[in-house]
Amino acid sequence: MSTETHEIPGSRFMDPKVLARIGNLELVSKAVVDGFINGLHKAPYFGASVDFAEHRGYVPGDDIRRMDWRVWARTDRYYIKEYEAESNMNFSVLLDVSKSMDYGGKGIKKIDYARIIAACLTSLVSHQRDRVGMAAFDSDIVEYVPPSAKHMETVLHVLDRLKPGKPGSLKEPLHKLAEHYGRRGVLVLISDFYEDPEAVIEAVKPLRFRGNDIMVLHVLDKDELDFGFADASPFEDLETGEQVPVVPDSLRKEYRAMVQAHIAALTQSFSKVGVDYALFDTSQPLDYVLFRYLSSRSRRLKRR
Amino acid sequence: MSFLAPLFFVALAGLAIPVLLHLTQKEKKEVVFFPSLMFVRKIPYQASRRRRIQHWFLLALRVAALALIILAFARPLLTRPDAPVALGQGAREVVVLLDTSYSMGYGARWAAATEAARGVVSRLGASDRASIVAFGSGTDILLRSTAEHSALNSAIASAKPGASATRYAPALKVAGSVLAESQLPRREVVLISDFQRSGWRGQEGTALPAGATLTPIAVQGPATQPNLSVTAVSLQRSRFANQERVTVTAGITNRSESAVSNQPVTLEAGGLKVSSKTFSVEGGASTSVTFEPVTISGRNYKGTVRLGADALPADNAFHFVVSPSEPVRVILVDRGGSATGLYLAQAFAIGDSPKFDYVTRQPENLSDDDLRRSSLVVLNDTPVSTPLARRLLKFVEQGGGMLVAAGGRATWPRDVDLLPATIGNPVDRTRGEAARVGGIEYGHPVFETFRAPRSGDFLAVKVYSYRNLGPVTGAQVLARFDAGAPAVVERRVGAGRVLMWASTLDQTWTDLPIRPLFLPFIHRAATHLVAYIPSQPWSTVGQILDTSRAGAHKGQSVPTLVLTPSGARLPVGGDGTEVIELTEQGFYELRGDAKSSDNMAVVASNVDPAEADLTAMDPQDVVAASTGEAQSEAAQTAAAPQTPESREKSQRLWWYLLCLGAALLAAETFVSNRLKT
Repeated sequence: MSTETHEIPGSRFMDPKVLARIGNLELVSKAVVDGFINGLHKAPYFGASVDFAEHRGYVPGDDIRRMDWRVWARTDRYYIKEYEAESNMNFSVLLDVSKSMDYGGKGIKKIDYARIIAACLTSLVSHQRDRVGMAAFDSDIVEYVPPSAKHMETVLHVLDRLKPGKPGSLKEPLHKLAEHYGRRGVLVLISDFYEDPEAVIEAVKPLRFRGNDIMVLHVLDKDELDFGFADASPFEDLETGEQVPVVPDSLRKEYRAMVQAHIAALTQSFSKVGVDYALFDTSQPLDYVLFRYLSSRSRRLKRR
Repeated sequence: MSFLAPLFFVALAGLAIPVLLHLTQKEKKEVVFFPSLMFVRKIPYQASRRRRIQHWFLLALRVAALALIILAFARPLLTRPDAPVALGQGAREVVVLLDTSYSMGYGARWAAATEAARGVVSRLGASDRASIVAFGSGTDILLRSTAEHSALNSAIASAKPGASATRYAPALKVAGSVLAESQLPRREVVLISDFQRSGWRGQEGTALPAGATLTPIAVQGPATQPNLSVTAVSLQRSRFANQERVTVTAGITNRSESAVSNQPVTLEAGGLKVSSKTFSVEGGASTSVTFEPVTISGRNYKGTVRLGADALPADNAFHFVVSPSEPVRVILVDRGGSATGLYLAQAFAIGDSPKFDYVTRQPENLSDDDLRRSSLVVLNDTPVSTPLARRLLKFVEQGGGMLVAAGGRATWPRDVDLLPATIGNPVDRTRGEAARVGGIEYGHPVFETFRAPRSGDFLAVKVYSYRNLGPVTGAQVLARFDAGAPAVVERRVGAGRVLMWASTLDQTWTDLPIRPLFLPFIHRAATHLVAYIPSQPWSTVGQILDTSRAGAHKGQSVPTLVLTPSGARLPVGGDGTEVIELTEQGFYELRGDAKSSDNMAVVASNVDPAEADLTAMDPQDVVAASTGEAQSEAAQTAAAPQTPESREKSQRLWWYLLCLGAALLAAETFVSNRLKT
């Protein structure tokens, strides 16, 4: 009888270095979320908790155990104590697996970087007893794992078998996915966003409209940010196959300005609709970048 | 296949010539795949039409002809598997591996092993040569490649079971190296052992040279005689009437299958028998015996738990050394008169391993005598004058440790270079979010214990104010505040260390002292700064003893002599080596002077308890791993030298290759002419 243990194929994306760095953090929803059991996040309902919310007048039918007898002693009126409910949340990663994500200049491919982020965040959230799921899309939905407390391994399996191959778009798949995420939760959208900022916002809006807390992680390679190519060569678009002859030296300055403008436009647009946006450069160590992002997000939430 | 003139392969670079000819004037323009050309402006680019290879067949002919000619010049040599010769042909090189681990002392195993070794020697022919290698966990070549039977027999007689455990792999490697140097045609290893399973951990790269054979001779025999062993002792310290006592509990295992009852076990302490007990234990089971507490009367107090005689005597004694626990002496330099040192004092009051002995001094009252008696100084938010700073510099250079808490009152003179960082202006974080500690070097000994998740979260510590530290050259930043300023900085100065925390160690500026991680943080910092090494009551035979560390005790010099359990005197330090391997069971005494009888340190050395497990393995496992297949004596073969005729025959391939190359060149001429027309 064999005694070997078999690893889940996708567990290679759960980078221990990253997990060790972010293991002490919490990913808490900044919005209220719908859940079934008590958890870390604010719920839309009043319920059983320790955080006092408000008093309201007694109406027949209320549980008299929740009556505040001290207030009655002072005012001679019946009041009910309400508490803020805390809930667990739905967490899903929406991963862009279009062909452009298959690029990795001198180091790790963007898709692999994104997969490690997805696996590590999902693991972190799963340890918080929250429900985890994921969806992958290019021009259509490729994979969909509904959020569940038991879907950690399924997510890892799906991450492992994802292969970028088709050209992508954001609008159609994200509008379709908005139908699936009726229950409010946290969504992490990972993509390289090669679309106009207005189109990106239009694509994300239905998800936001349904009350989801969206974290947008913009993953780019160093080559895409710096355009550090030396030789004049024909450049081929990974998605369309279109070839364009390019002399990088004469183009670099303008290219960088356009990319920075694109990033600035995305930052501003997402900020307007209340969506967290962060740019991830794949040449940066992921543990450091993710730790910085999560701790700054945590600080922002506490300030609010 | 091998080659007589492999240098000709350099000419293979010439194969590029036909390819280049076929691609003449081709421009190098590799396509760059890019995720999206959304931002790439279209710039006109002078591209010329790529010229492609048109005559693939002609190119293949040219390349193949050149390759065959180069191959022919490299003189290929066909090497067939060596033809086996019948047993008894040619002289033999024999390596006798004789197991001298202590388990060979069980019953009559050693007598059977030496008898088998002498039998191997007696069967050697006149032209055969043999080596005798004794092995346990290490190996010792007693006699190397000789044909003299008398010398071989005396080498066997000089060997005896030692105190080490069995390890087959090093012995097989030594045998392989001896055989590799031999010129004799037949090579053989004879492994005489009791083949304990505990000595074999898989292949471990033990392959013998090609053609060598391994003959195992097992001297196992039935392990039916009683065999008890002391596997470990646990030492529980306590205090009674202002004296330290230790309660010894011995773990005893019955390795045989039959039960034993009312067996004696004694505890010897300081060379005297102090307690005796009896015990009963089932076959294959373990038990423990606890003795009455013994007072530790001095440093390096020797103790031994001893069982009665049985079939394997080596594992019947277990030695250990205990010394009175020596507290780490700490001076808490504080302004006094307030509760600022309360948390530090409480932290140092707790702990047994090591115990901290602290005194509180005001900066102006800190005497040289205080510094001489202490190994750690804690400057708790204190202004330091230049004379005091110079004395502290000397203290640290001589090996002392210093922990500095830089609160609002901390100052340090500029002209004394000791601190790991300059103390800058205070940073007020009382408004808004309090500062957090992150970016921790979890690989550092101070923070290693907090590495695992949920084992102390520094992010939860709130720091309301801190001093802006400027690390000096050679200092290491171990933790930072969220704004990037250093929080914990360390520096080595001379033989000592200085650790600096950028805030207070009371509640004035931070809530660190009321966090659960405060106590482990202070203890880890203190033990790291004084380089505290917990004392080891015993070692195992085969381990390395570093005499420079074993004798390290404040105010003591380095030992120069080691007295082994058998009474041998080994010089160490200056003219000798600083490390020695523990090869015997008993007490190794480290002395500073050859004439002195005072021990600077004593190390107890015990046999490896795993060796007492006599469970045997199949010798063919070792044979299969070392020679590639399990062999019997009948299958032993050896390589025979080749005759000049067969050597010439195996080289003739070059001639055919040259002919084929010439034929291809002729075909190339024909094809290219046809293409031109």
